[in-house]
Amino acid sequence: MEQLVTFLRLVLLSMVPFVLASQGTMLGGRTGVFNVAQEGIMLVGASLGFLISYQFGNNFVGILAAMVSGAIFGLLLAYFTTTLKMNQFVIGLSLFFIGVGLSSLIPKLVIGITLSPPLIPTLPEVSIPLLSQIPILGPILFKQNGVVYFAVLLSIGLWYYLYRTQNGLELRAVGENPMAADSLGVNTVRARYLTAIIGSALIAMAGAYLPMVYTGTFTEGMVRGRGWLAIALTFFGGWSPLMILTGSLFFAGVEALAFRAQVIGLAVPYQYLLMVPYLATILIMILTFRKARVPGFLGQNYDREKRNL
Amino acid sequence: MTIARKITPYMIAIVASFAAAGIFIAAMGFDVGRAYSTILGTSFRTPNGFIQTLLKFIPLTLLALAFTVPLTAGKFNIGGEGQMIMGAIAASAAGIMFAHLPFYLLLPLVILAGVIAGALWGLVPAWLLYRFGLHEILTTVLLNFVSFAVIDLVATGPWRDPAAGHPTTIPIGEGGFLPMLVSNPPLHSGLILAVVVAAGIYVYTTRTTSGYELVASGANPRAAQVYGINVKRMFVFSLVLAGALAGLAGVIEVAGVQHRLIEGMQSNFLVLGLIIGLIAKGDNLAVPFVALFIAVLEVGASAMQRTMMIPVQMVFIVEALVLLFVLLSDVVRRR
Repeated sequence: MEQLVTFLRLVLLSMVPFVLASQGTMLGGRTGVFNVAQEGIMLVGASLGFLISYQFGNNFVGILAAMVSGAIFGLLLAYFTTTLKMNQFVIGLSLFFIGVGLSSLIPKLVIGITLSPPLIPTLPEVSIPLLSQIPILGPILFKQNGVVYFAVLLSIGLWYYLYRTQNGLELRAVGENPMAADSLGVNTVRARYLTAIIGSALIAMAGAYLPMVYTGTFTEGMVRGRGWLAIALTFFGGWSPLMILTGSLFFAGVEALAFRAQVIGLAVPYQYLLMVPYLATILIMILTFRKARVPGFLGQNYDREKRNL
Repeated sequence: MTIARKITPYMIAIVASFAAAGIFIAAMGFDVGRAYSTILGTSFRTPNGFIQTLLKFIPLTLLALAFTVPLTAGKFNIGGEGQMIMGAIAASAAGIMFAHLPFYLLLPLVILAGVIAGALWGLVPAWLLYRFGLHEILTTVLLNFVSFAVIDLVATGPWRDPAAGHPTTIPIGEGGFLPMLVSNPPLHSGLILAVVVAAGIYVYTTRTTSGYELVASGANPRAAQVYGINVKRMFVFSLVLAGALAGLAGVIEVAGVQHRLIEGMQSNFLVLGLIIGLIAKGDNLAVPFVALFIAVLEVGASAMQRTMMIPVQMVFIVEALVLLFVLLSDVVRRR
């Protein structure tokens, strides 16, 4: 029982970067902006989030700084694709490259070339009064760090916004059929900018979470493909906030399982366990590809002066 | 388009990015003049620097082509790293298992094994695309992470070199070494392979029917389909060809440089290959030239870190700015 509680706590803990990055991807995609720079943006978020937290001695400031950096990436993405109408994949990959480079350059400039990087304190647990006293469920659900709660609330909030408000409906329309939305007076350009910026800020937040929970420091390439997995997860979740939340649990479960198996010391070489999350993702994509619901205008640029479709 | 018109935006982009990056480097308190003379001069000052540059140029060209060839068909291959690793693994495996063979048998075997392994690793996402319509940008990159585990597995397996601290295999048979063009400083004949392959890709895409079909599939898949081109098959083929190219890069690293398999030997070739392909705007002919430029920068940057204590990543600002300006020049021209 003790083991199971520890494991489920770990699942919830490692769900967060997937939730944040995928919801960010989903948000942009809902207006047609397909972000593929996640891995780079998360690395920048991790790098900056760590450095700013270290300088200010405050993780919250670090998370905010990471989100600002992500927002700048989102702004660039929106500008190049929506205003300049350039290929979204080309811009996304360019931003990916810029993110990878920046994330390794900035720590070198700030801290210098060192063998023992400084550490920051990890995010503290926030126990919710009363609820955390419930046996078994309490420690799993209500004794986590603040970002875990934020990720869950964000998912529910996004669902409410997209499916229960006029604004959200208009936003979805931009991603499904911008021409129709435009003719009804929806500001498609503003919708695309806003979602790309907020989405990228969330993705960067997912990156900042990594040093603040797992390692206490930034190491190069520490995102380890989670950004790419987040894209797969967004497809798997059918670009819907609640399905993405559920899917994140599953992804985190696979990751946590592979991690636990290493700790327990299973007879299999650990390298096989390292492959599991990626192979499992491809398998899931195969199993769910038929049902995949994708915004109709995903990855395309809308130009009101041209014939579209 | 004349060559001059093609090159002008590049020249402007390079000058502008050096100027912009220079301001940044100066603001960080470094000597810009010395930094730039090191970055640009290292490759041409000494024979060693020049050969170092050529050695970097080889895998960079091949990995960039592994990105641009599928891009010609409108497909994004971010899996060059994994395909290179699988090529290196297969080349090492062949070189170790048949170490006693004479060179005229072993060398072709090593090369073939690596190229085929890379192609097969490229076939996986191609098949997933063909059969299930899974987006190749995801599957190729996910397979990279699988290959990291595979190379670690092989390098710590039965072929492990117990004397090496880092996961490394024993050397391959000497018959599997690529012949040297220059022995001191060492330059292997992989250079010729890379140049021939790059030229071959150019001829293939511009002068052959199949190459034309590849370009057509990328330019307008719908029109190509109507015209009777099997577009889906061209997509598969482009990804397999890309895998073979990246696999060859892996072979050359094993047979030409390291002579053994080393975990992490692919270093940052993937992102550099990506940026080369993007700066070249997917143009297969431009790739080798851009690759040479990036190789000069990379070799110069490591010299700069050694002599001036400026972090090697600083050169990345120049590269990113060049990319940005090249992308922007496209927009300017359209107006």
